[in-house]
Amino acid sequence: MSTKAPARPAAQPARKPLLSRVPADFVRAVLKGHSGLGLAFAAAIYLVCLTGSIAVFAQEFQRWEHADAPRLTSASPEAVQAALENAIVRAGTAEHGYIQLPDAEIPHLVVNLDTPKGDEGWIADGNGTLVAGSAVPWTEFITGLHISLHLPRSWGEFLVGLTGVALLSSLISGLLAHPRIFRDAFHLRLGGSRRLQEADLHNRLGVWAMPFHLAVSLTGALLGLTTLIVGVLGFALFNGDVDKVYGLFLPADLPEDARAAPVIDLQPMFAQLEIQSPGGRVDLIQLEHPQEAGGSAMFQVEREPQHIANIDSYAFDRSGKLYHSAKAADNNLGEDILASIGQVHFGWFGGGIVKIAYGLLGLGLTYLAASGVTIWLARRRDKRNASPGWERVWTGFVWGQPAALALTALIAAVVGTGVGSTVLVSTWGAVTLLALAGAAFAEQRTLGRWLALLTTGALVATGAAHALLHRGSDPVAWAIDVVFVVGGAALGGWILRRPSRFSASSGAS
Amino acid sequence: MSVMLENPLIVGLPILAAGVAGVWLLRSAWRAPGGEGQAARLLGWGVIVGTIAWPAWALGPYRGPFEALALIPVAALGVVASGATIKRVRAGRASKAAGADSLAPEPLDRPTTRWRTTLRWLLAGPIGMIAAMAVGICYAVWIPGEPQTRLLIGGLIVPAVWGGAMAWTLADNRIIRATAVLLGTAFLGFGLSILKGFA
Repeated sequence: MSTKAPARPAAQPARKPLLSRVPADFVRAVLKGHSGLGLAFAAAIYLVCLTGSIAVFAQEFQRWEHADAPRLTSASPEAVQAALENAIVRAGTAEHGYIQLPDAEIPHLVVNLDTPKGDEGWIADGNGTLVAGSAVPWTEFITGLHISLHLPRSWGEFLVGLTGVALLSSLISGLLAHPRIFRDAFHLRLGGSRRLQEADLHNRLGVWAMPFHLAVSLTGALLGLTTLIVGVLGFALFNGDVDKVYGLFLPADLPEDARAAPVIDLQPMFAQLEIQSPGGRVDLIQLEHPQEAGGSAMFQVEREPQHIANIDSYAFDRSGKLYHSAKAADNNLGEDILASIGQVHFGWFGGGIVKIAYGLLGLGLTYLAASGVTIWLARRRDKRNASPGWERVWTGFVWGQPAALALTALIAAVVGTGVGSTVLVSTWGAVTLLALAGAAFAEQRTLGRWLALLTTGALVATGAAHALLHRGSDPVAWAIDVVFVVGGAALGGWILRRPSRFSASSGAS
Repeated sequence: MSVMLENPLIVGLPILAAGVAGVWLLRSAWRAPGGEGQAARLLGWGVIVGTIAWPAWALGPYRGPFEALALIPVAALGVVASGATIKRVRAGRASKAAGADSLAPEPLDRPTTRWRTTLRWLLAGPIGMIAAMAVGICYAVWIPGEPQTRLLIGGLIVPAVWGGAMAWTLADNRIIRATAVLLGTAFLGFGLSILKGFA
């Protein structure tokens, strides 16, 4: 009789997770495409994401630029009418225009007009008296950089749309190239090998923030490609008439009647809106030919707060006759999507907490773009095929952009709203070129460190200069000053404590 | 509901807290040995799905889930960061062994020629765009529904398909297959669209 224990049946081998069964060659091929695409678009994705993370707070920056403007909670119809008439007196004549009424995000009454001298605008007080110009040059500089890279509008928008498609594509290939997505879900190893650390950060940011990445890249791509898509639609289906495509979403124009007339009277229209849209809040008024007999005004009224697409629109002719109305509650799905795209893209649908989340996740996406190239460079270095020149160029670009943007903010804080957009674009372009040129002369770590210190100094100086020179009472403007100073100081402290971080290679060096 | 809508923190903070709880449960499951984490895994996913759903009641059917989808990733990344392991910074190793402990696959090192590279980028770029346009427009033409809805969904299809085509063509080693599929899609899509027209 044997004393041996009976042999146990062989244990069934554990079934591998689905993604782990993806063939290795497929993963490597997808990784090849992911790497190529990331490298081709890295700079554009990085810049668009960095400026997008700032543009989330465009409304707050508008307030920062007008910290001393009168803050209103609402504006009476009389004040709106007075502001319009005062603005037209200042401008002389106006073809089109819009009036932005105060709300929680921007508590200003703003009249902007399309005049023979170009676009002009003013901020009015609660009586409709014009108290300041409405220019927001730094906010427009940042949003313009994000939307069109300050290139000719249609080309710039297309390029940004293409960047959105490339980002979307990178997200798809990044997921497919990551068979250990669940096994590595919580791995975050900092320190140690720089390549391993960057890969962990890259992959964890990529996976856990995927809903955000998909939402902003898809909506951004659609926003950027709208002109092209509508053009092809018009060409293929409407005999080249793109107006027919737009006509499906916009009210028909009134017949032209260019005879001179007094400034259009908006007050009877406000009275009608009380009946048409009870409880609604007028958000924006778009004016067409306000000094002509064929003039009209379209009111956008905010209602249905539980919807992201919550704007009713009502258009009146000069006599106050309603000729178009569209309620958000009656929208079809397409109209809802159209009205929501911008809100979802910029995170303007859920108040401050969602904006902060968008800002943080946007910076994460910016880091994702930067670290992709860093990992590629580190991989080359590990294979004894280092590209020290590209390592310096990438460091110059990655740290040159925050420095360039911070310097433009400093100029805006010192000069104020009178600064021309050419000055801001030229400063950004010059600092970008200098940072790239620095790659030819400076050692990588030195270049990165000095650009980061320049960013730090500019951020702290911006907050301090703005607080000293524009002492308004707006708490949002003060909060931004604090963020500039504290954020800049924190970055400075980090730079001084971690000099080894300023290397785009495996870090090691 | 209006108080909730006017003060986003009233709903935003509970979403963040629930997101942290859900992801923390998933991390507990991930750390548990063997199959012991099954209950925590199911509960974690349940909390996350519930956290996407309940804000619809509090903030509205669209605003609520979108707010949850923005805040849960922040919570998740916070949990991931809280569990980070800090290693001693390693001196540089200019060898293949550096980072080898990641076990990450290396990109395929495939032989190529100039014309194959050019064709690959043409497929990922303009040809992929045309094929994606064809799919989007074909959807707008053939799928029933309101014209605005068909056009907007068709418009959203364009970048999604283009992005997918880009990922595929840059990865696929069989470039002729990718060329045939994309050109076929473009011809078929535009042909079918023009055949019917937009009604």
